[in-house]
Amino acid sequence: MNAITEPVLSYAATASREQVLLALRAVLPPHCILSREEETRPYECDGLSLYRSVPMAVVLPESEAQVQAVLKTCKKLRVPVVARGAGTGLSGGAMPHAQGVLLGLAKFNRIKHVDREAAIAVVEPGVRNLAVSEAVAPFGLYYAPDPSSQIACTIGGNVAENSGGVHCLKYGLTVHNVLKVRVITIDGEVIELGSLAPDAPGLDLLSVFVGSEGMLGVVTEVTLRLTPKPALARVIMASFDDVEKASDAVGKVIGAGIIPAGLEMMDKQATQMVEPFVRAGYDTEAEAILLCESDGTIEEVAEEIERMEKVFQQAGAVRLQVSQSENERLLFWAGRKNAFPAAGRVSPDYYCMDGTIPRRRLGHVLKAIQQMEIKYSMRCANVFHAGDGNLHPLILFDSNLADEVRRAEDFGAEILELCVEVGGTITGEHGVGIEKINQMCVQFTRDELDSFMAVKRGFDPECLLNPEKVIPTLVRCAEYGKMHVHGGALPFSDLPRF
Amino acid sequence: MNAPHDLQTLRRPLPAEMSEALRTHFGDRFSVANAVRDHHGTDESPYPSMLPDGVVFAQSTEEVVVVVNLCNAHGVPLIAYGAGSSLEGHILAIEGGITLDLTQMNKIVALHAEDQTITVQAGLTRKQLNEQIRDSGLFFPIDPGADASLGGMSATRASGTNAVRYGTMRENVVSLTVVTAQGKIIRTSRRARKSSAGYDLTRLFVGSEGTLGVITEVTVKLYPQPEAVSAAVCNFPTVHEAVQCVIQTIQLGVPIARVELMDANAVMAGNRYSKLTLRETPLLLFEFHGSEASVKEQAQTVQELAKDCGGLDFEWAERPEDRNRLWTARHNAYFAGLQLRPGCRASTTDVCVPISRLAECINEATKLLEKASFPSTIVGHVGDGNFHVLMLLDPNDQKEWEESERLNHRLVTQAIDADGTCTGEHGIGLHKKQFMAHEHGEDVLDLMRSLKKAFDPNNILNPGKILDARP
Repeated sequence: MNAITEPVLSYAATASREQVLLALRAVLPPHCILSREEETRPYECDGLSLYRSVPMAVVLPESEAQVQAVLKTCKKLRVPVVARGAGTGLSGGAMPHAQGVLLGLAKFNRIKHVDREAAIAVVEPGVRNLAVSEAVAPFGLYYAPDPSSQIACTIGGNVAENSGGVHCLKYGLTVHNVLKVRVITIDGEVIELGSLAPDAPGLDLLSVFVGSEGMLGVVTEVTLRLTPKPALARVIMASFDDVEKASDAVGKVIGAGIIPAGLEMMDKQATQMVEPFVRAGYDTEAEAILLCESDGTIEEVAEEIERMEKVFQQAGAVRLQVSQSENERLLFWAGRKNAFPAAGRVSPDYYCMDGTIPRRRLGHVLKAIQQMEIKYSMRCANVFHAGDGNLHPLILFDSNLADEVRRAEDFGAEILELCVEVGGTITGEHGVGIEKINQMCVQFTRDELDSFMAVKRGFDPECLLNPEKVIPTLVRCAEYGKMHVHGGALPFSDLPRF
Repeated sequence: MNAPHDLQTLRRPLPAEMSEALRTHFGDRFSVANAVRDHHGTDESPYPSMLPDGVVFAQSTEEVVVVVNLCNAHGVPLIAYGAGSSLEGHILAIEGGITLDLTQMNKIVALHAEDQTITVQAGLTRKQLNEQIRDSGLFFPIDPGADASLGGMSATRASGTNAVRYGTMRENVVSLTVVTAQGKIIRTSRRARKSSAGYDLTRLFVGSEGTLGVITEVTVKLYPQPEAVSAAVCNFPTVHEAVQCVIQTIQLGVPIARVELMDANAVMAGNRYSKLTLRETPLLLFEFHGSEASVKEQAQTVQELAKDCGGLDFEWAERPEDRNRLWTARHNAYFAGLQLRPGCRASTTDVCVPISRLAECINEATKLLEKASFPSTIVGHVGDGNFHVLMLLDPNDQKEWEESERLNHRLVTQAIDADGTCTGEHGIGLHKKQFMAHEHGEDVLDLMRSLKKAFDPNNILNPGKILDARP
């Protein structure tokens, strides 16, 4: 793999491994520190296993005071800190820094408080996403954002990545469902951002914090907005003989004034990959299927399903099947949510992209990806949040074959650049991390990247929190060839910008 | 009052050289005429007028860059100005400087009907926007009452009566074009519905009240015009029962588009002003959006809940003229209130609390107001836990002002202690700066200050608003 060859600051120069461990042992009990290689190796990567790096030490604090102490220690020694939840992230956001400390929040796993009347839950960051919905189910409530990894991923990680899921078209992303976070700054100070009331005055630091990929602070408590569980939900599976027709149907549903609870698309590659694994009952003959959910009261769902069916028929659907029971509905979604594990079954490696485009360009981009499959002679399955225009092309490859890794990366980069070209973004929900840092140079101008740096400086002027992620340096952009450089002179090339 | 005492000492000079440059560049569109300055230095807040030294009418983002660069070079304050309808002293030129009027930037840049987004120049007002897109079958729902500009609504994170269904500007701004204090043009985000690329600059600028950059273009979400709209009104014996009804409605997940509370005083004022015959007890006004069947079902559900909560009667209307009649009292609440005391000026509170704490907060407010020496009304966007006390004050009676400020202080303290906020939608401006430390804590304010410093190192952008510079 292309190792990260551009460390801007040499952190190792300031504190040796021994010094760091000594300082950590002074503030944490021994069982909260892992330092032997066999202990730290399991933390070398997150869900993006292409990039790996073993940290100097892993700390697993058990209290907020310990988190404060760790951060103060790291600040004093000028050692990078990377926070980690369940490690299910797909962009390398939780990949450790080789000269740094990995701060695991797995032990912060309590649901502290549920207020049924206010429909909120106060949880620690290590609580799993699905565990929240399970805990509040007796009150007829649930937590709406449902990333496919919800069985494992944690709320803290969701906050860091601003996670979405199949239901965020109607119910919003993490940022729309988090009311308040308690954060430890790099100085070890405790701050609270947001408020239980809908709108905290002044700068909206909560929104800035959500999705900041661990670069602004470490979360120790999150207050979540809960949603009343609808009386009924049903899913339509609509089959199409052409991906472009399916894409157009997506725009037509929303254009008809319907906001489905979920609107997902899978192409033939994806359904054929998933069906033997999950037996979801998908139409594997269709070139593409749409899964379209309606939720609400019984009457509302009946009426909406009827309207959705009409739109799909007009858009040229060749087959429509509506879930007849809650079990069948869950099975339809199980297939969708297991697309990644299924890809792992049929291909030694896969690479998942996350570009998001204005909805009406879906057909165009999917056709272009089909052309790229030929160009790179690699298969690519498409399974994605169509309603949001959020693509997840899964590039299937084998890292043992010569050249396949490079071709897969090039393929992915070309898809992302196309997304930006049609007015979209390089990441809808997986974050930039280390994976998409080059494409940031394509999506944003230098002035825009400077604004990101201004935010970063406000929170963490020495750039100790999750360094070398998300914001590319000018040098990197110049190397990537997407930045105009005057006569080889790069302004402020020595400034740390990552 | 909390108005700065010695305004003259705060004012920064406007160098002659800079006036000259502005005149050369903008000609007639740079004005130092008293009438123009007065118009731009007076707002709906309880503060006296504070005039800028000059007003520039910009017509493009590039012209904004010119003004920002001049201000930055000379250390002159710059206040971006839309419709001037803000309530908390946002646009007052407390340090003098240039007011940048953006009302001539009122064009639609691009309508993307299929994506249900529209990009407009910052000076376009929400009514102008909705008139111009009427034929597309789409509409922009955020309705703060006044015909505010989209730039101003973004800068103050405006919301309004239907936030309970459509959210506030926080949820509805997709992307902004901003001129930074260094005169750079940045686009905070692209038009994709979601993005996790980099920090959320869009939401950082939304609600920053002109202190971090000048917003010149706004991309917002649009929604399909609802197939059916209906309205309902229901009286309750006390505010408590009315609020219970709202809580239950929301807990059931009924997707109401608006729900507004008026207290008995507000109803009485409405009856007098609009010649209505509403029963003068607290009442709730509802609006439902959706298909024919779902609108009917929503109204039935709410009717049953209202009955369970002790509602006195329930009137339901589908025809637009009947709906408008039901809502007249609410739409005119501000002016109806002012008429309760001819010649008065209003000071408005804007506290917002978690809905489970709403009834106790309104009860407390009612008790305080009964003892007050001036009349008042309460109206509220209760679906969001946000309510306004309209305090009707004699502008010449310093004692009344002081009493109203004390009362506001009590309400805000109570709201913050209930884990709420001093302002649900009007923003901070000058008037609510005093509450920021209590609400956020000094550490969070320090963070906000360091962001302000990073974006605007020379403190030229709407200085003295939201936060005082670091002492």
